[in-house]
Amino acid sequence: MIVIEFFLTLFVASIAAGALGSIVGIGGGLIVIPILTLFLGVDIHYAIGASIVSIIATSSGAAATYVKDRITNLRIGMFLETGTTIGSIIGAAIAAYLSAIVLEAIFGTILIISLVPLVRKIGEEFPPIQELKGLAKKLNLRGDYVERDGRKIEYNATNPGRGLVGMLVAGLISGLLGIGSGTFKVLSMDLAMKLPMKVSTTTSNFMIGVTAAASAGIYFARGDVNPLITAPVALGILIGASIGTHLLVKAKNTAVRKIFAIVLAASAIEMIIRALGF
Amino acid sequence: MNKILGIVLRSGVIFSGAIIATGTALFIANHSLDNTSAYLVYNPGLIPHGNFPASLASIGSGLASLDPSSIIQLGFLVLLATPVARVAFSLFLFAAEKDRRFVYLTAAVLTVLLFSMLATPLFPLFNG
Repeated sequence: MIVIEFFLTLFVASIAAGALGSIVGIGGGLIVIPILTLFLGVDIHYAIGASIVSIIATSSGAAATYVKDRITNLRIGMFLETGTTIGSIIGAAIAAYLSAIVLEAIFGTILIISLVPLVRKIGEEFPPIQELKGLAKKLNLRGDYVERDGRKIEYNATNPGRGLVGMLVAGLISGLLGIGSGTFKVLSMDLAMKLPMKVSTTTSNFMIGVTAAASAGIYFARGDVNPLITAPVALGILIGASIGTHLLVKAKNTAVRKIFAIVLAASAIEMIIRALGF
Repeated sequence: MNKILGIVLRSGVIFSGAIIATGTALFIANHSLDNTSAYLVYNPGLIPHGNFPASLASIGSGLASLDPSSIIQLGFLVLLATPVARVAFSLFLFAAEKDRRFVYLTAAVLTVLLFSMLATPLFPLFNG
């Protein structure tokens, strides 16, 4: 393949990855990695390096809009970020002792099981308002945002402890497998903390950028960030993310949850297929 | 405050996108018909890491000669600064709200973020 073809293929695929990623709160590695490794024959090290760049680009590209529309809950994001950080440090430390195949099989299975509660509330536009109590009250884990039709949506977080455990798992996965774990972050906020879906995906969007930036230095110094691969990825993702964010602010929570369920199923299958060694 | 942060993030992203686009255009202008495979061989043993820069010093010297790869890497570094800016800004936000718990929490996240970004590449353990 010649350079210009390679660039254009990757650029177009990245626009799609950026749009999807910014809507459902994941980094786009789900699309970018298989395209690079299976379709373009790129080494997995470069593919993971490109995936880190794609996570940061999705997060940063979407951030300006989500900050302006105040959908992202910085307070909840920052609280949960402590769990992700600790999890990823533990993950990186024990990665050498565990088999990636077993881990992918386990996490893939967890993702498939979590489809059940997700599908059960698939038609829920806004969660019923929760009582603000315990740790959530102490840390004031609540918020509100304004929908495009002018309605002000208020919500309180519940089960912050369970949410934090979910984030520990998400961090562990990032540290162990070197992949983003936006799906686990969104699941914890949606299922355990009962936040509106758009708050969950945009807050995850904020968090994945911070987590990826923390590990970017390692990949960069190792030489895994190949500019000829990351350039079309970054440019495509930035354009895709700006499309995705404009779609998200207008979208219904139910629509976002449906798209997320499909992405979740796809990423579970991808993990299990990798574990089985195909 | 949110407005200022929005402007900071947006200009960071546009700036970084413009730098990466410039580097890409320069590269394509010279190499559009090359075979890609030569650029995709993973060769971390080579110093400095094959044919593109992977350290601040090599980016710096590459920029002086308008090397497209170095320009793209510079754009990536600008992009990398935006999540840091976002966390740092939240620190001010929580300080302005006089929310001491969250000032500490955010300071901790910012410290770990900066530490792992800047220091972990120096540890051979993570450098496999």
